[in-house]
Amino acid sequence: MSGPRPTPGAPSGIDLRAEMRQAAASLGKPAHDAPSRAVTSDLSVDESLLLHSIGWEALDVVFGASLVSVPPFVWTWGSGEITSASEAHNLAVRSAAQHLGAQCTAVGGHGVVGVHVEIEVQRHHVDVELTGTAVRPVKGKDRSSAFVSDLSARDFTLLHNAGWAPVGLAFGASFVYAPRRSAGAAMRQSSQNVELTNFTEAMYAAREAGMEHMQRSALDMGAQGIVAVRVAEGPMWFANHAIGFTAWGTAVRLEAQSHQYLRPEVVLPLDDAVVEFAAQSLR
Amino acid sequence: MTQPQDLPKEAGHRLEELEHGLFTSDLSVNEFLLIKEAGFHPLGFVMGSSIYHTGIQARRWNKSQELTKLTEAMYNARELAMTRMEEEADQLGADGVVGVRLDVNYYEWGRDAAEFIAVGTAVKAEDGVSHRNALGKPFTSDLSGQDFWTIMQTGYVPQGLVMGTCVFHIAHRGLGQALGSMGQNVELPNFTQALYEARELAMTRMQDEANQLGATGIVGVRLEEKSHQWGSHTIEFLSLGTAVTKSAGDVTLPKPITVISLDN
Amino acid sequence: MPAPGRPDGADGPPDAVDTGTGTDLPEAAGRRLESGSFSSGLTVPDFAACLQMGLRPVALVQGFCVMQWGWYGAGSPYSRGLSPYAFGSGGAPRGVYSESYSCPHGGMVYSNEHRIWGQNYQQPWVEEAWAEGFGSAYSRLVEEAGAVGAHGVIGVVDSTRHLADMNVTEFHILGTAVVVEDAAPAPGATPWTTYLAGQRLAKLVEAGYMPVSVVAALSSVRVWAYCVTEMLMEGRPLSTFGGGGYMPVAEVEQLSRAHLAARSLVREHVRGKLGHDTLQGALIVANTQRLAQGDEVIECALRGTRVRRFKDFDPLPPPRPTVRLT
Repeated sequence: MSGPRPTPGAPSGIDLRAEMRQAAASLGKPAHDAPSRAVTSDLSVDESLLLHSIGWEALDVVFGASLVSVPPFVWTWGSGEITSASEAHNLAVRSAAQHLGAQCTAVGGHGVVGVHVEIEVQRHHVDVELTGTAVRPVKGKDRSSAFVSDLSARDFTLLHNAGWAPVGLAFGASFVYAPRRSAGAAMRQSSQNVELTNFTEAMYAAREAGMEHMQRSALDMGAQGIVAVRVAEGPMWFANHAIGFTAWGTAVRLEAQSHQYLRPEVVLPLDDAVVEFAAQSLR
Repeated sequence: MTQPQDLPKEAGHRLEELEHGLFTSDLSVNEFLLIKEAGFHPLGFVMGSSIYHTGIQARRWNKSQELTKLTEAMYNARELAMTRMEEEADQLGADGVVGVRLDVNYYEWGRDAAEFIAVGTAVKAEDGVSHRNALGKPFTSDLSGQDFWTIMQTGYVPQGLVMGTCVFHIAHRGLGQALGSMGQNVELPNFTQALYEARELAMTRMQDEANQLGATGIVGVRLEEKSHQWGSHTIEFLSLGTAVTKSAGDVTLPKPITVISLDN
Repeated sequence: MPAPGRPDGADGPPDAVDTGTGTDLPEAAGRRLESGSFSSGLTVPDFAACLQMGLRPVALVQGFCVMQWGWYGAGSPYSRGLSPYAFGSGGAPRGVYSESYSCPHGGMVYSNEHRIWGQNYQQPWVEEAWAEGFGSAYSRLVEEAGAVGAHGVIGVVDSTRHLADMNVTEFHILGTAVVVEDAAPAPGATPWTTYLAGQRLAKLVEAGYMPVSVVAALSSVRVWAYCVTEMLMEGRPLSTFGGGGYMPVAEVEQLSRAHLAARSLVREHVRGKLGHDTLQGALIVANTQRLAQGDEVIECALRGTRVRRFKDFDPLPPPRPTVRLT
């Protein structure tokens, strides 16, 4: 084989084979435009390209972690909201997000995207671990505070093009006891189709308290809205009668004068879904 | 139809905050942007729930029949949840709710009790024109953000999420019958008849609801079958869809481009 | 039937390590690599994409290493590894992380079990052993690739398996060795390696980056809890008989700092291997082992591909948003 062949199917104007040869040959030479400090990034190639297309760059992988204790005996069946558990959860998330933001500003980032949120509620503690990538406009100036968002780099880019910017992670959690019924009430209701109003009210109380905390945390940041809210609820594995409700999303604000409309095109794909068996390559 | 219940007082405070301009939504970023393209703005995440005790209903072991008490219970429970969700949307001044999800949760501490939840995102048109349905209430739809945008381009508008339900008990077969057909490839006419009837009942009730809204048709119909906590011979057939009406607007859906994607 | 561990038909003892020929690859590996046809772990789309880029697969190559965990640090400069006073109250040697915590309860001993002193400390002997194991497996992979004349190894997959009751960890690393067509490698150059393959590798190259090597490191932090941490994590009161009350909702500072330290350390280990290059596609896996009384061992592994910029490229135009009718 002599000389480069045109590669069918490649995007127009790019000769992949020549690119690969040039790339391999470059290993013997010093790097072109090397960063002064080695950069670590957990973004995929697609996400890095998207960020680059809006003039932003990744700086470093950053972390936040916080463990907060829950006082003992709070899970014993009582009534109403389990305030110390909610307090512990909200404190843990806030503290972890603060660490994350601090690491971000320390490397000169304006915000953290693609935050992977891991929250574990155990009998005596709540464990929150956050991992994300600090980003900033290319060669941007340092800032004193950074936004934290669980938006992927792709969603961040989309919103940016529409004129919106993230301001922070809005979150809320609340824990309640399932209410008890008296034996008489239980017997009466056992043969009827009837709403169990005190249960309903207890669940409402949990949800509304959790959502309200989330909303308030967004308002405190000066946000106009929260997108991609994720909601999880269920009994605690170690205490079946205690129900936990958590909600979090990214608080956003319109930075442009007005919302920039995208005008999407409609496409009709002609390929069938491909079934892939992975060779487990990293991302 | 049950009377609308008052929302528990805890809901009020959160909704007030939303009325002051903050919006919340569980739409993905893609859906959020498409809702905006369709000329709507999200107002807030709305939800309704009800914990319902489904009582016992006597059933004959060898007769296939609808269990009307249970049907009524399942219907009432979902109606309560949906109505509360609509009330929250109403309080926000919404034109409708998109992305409605109806879920059922079971908890170990409530025997025969289940929680019915309806959640969605309330939206409002940005042009100030009311897009509420024929009954003057916010429309509900289980359409995703993408489907909502697409259907608005076709000139149809959603009216409401309609559902029909039927809880059916399938007769157990006697020993003689089972032995008689053992080893053969044969249709079981009793079962066929029973299951046919059950599904038809569910779908007819769904269509009745659509007619009440004055709808032209129903899109995205889904038929779900669940045994809940009753064992395998009792099945609930639930038929769900979004009722739509042709509006005066033109079809603005552009001609699609055909693509073959080269990456997977 | 040949005895286990011996290549079929061969005589003599199995030679897992043969220093005579200057290489320590198993004899079977040599035979496989010389056989002429290639095998590759790439999926069909990845295989097609590689051919488009001008990368020709030549062989499936692997490296393997089994490490035993000795009695922690015995005979090493860190010989007090198992004791709570791992580095004494003087702290760790320079460059090793440790933080000490003292009981704030006024020096009164509430019970025999009141732990008046605790420490978070890095366990460099664990980290070094892991690095040696991964490094040996990696260099064997590269050696096999060199033996077949490959320029690089793509689609690398690595796994570590811990056989707990034998205190042994096996490191296994596998990849597809490739040749860049119409190009000659620089003399004496070692094959480059990357976790990526196929489309993702093509995009990386188009974006102006060349993979240099896979990079992986481990950090290990041991927490020897002091009284406050133990009480918060176990829900115990201040004194054995319940006097002194219970601790309220509070951040367990010792553990938060240990978790943060473990992650920061692994990032610094990896940064030390990057030179002026960038780490792409970082994947962090953290494993916390909770021991009794609030003690923990936190291990973080970080993997990624070291990449080097070789040219600029213009930013892509904003992609066209589409809605699919499927």
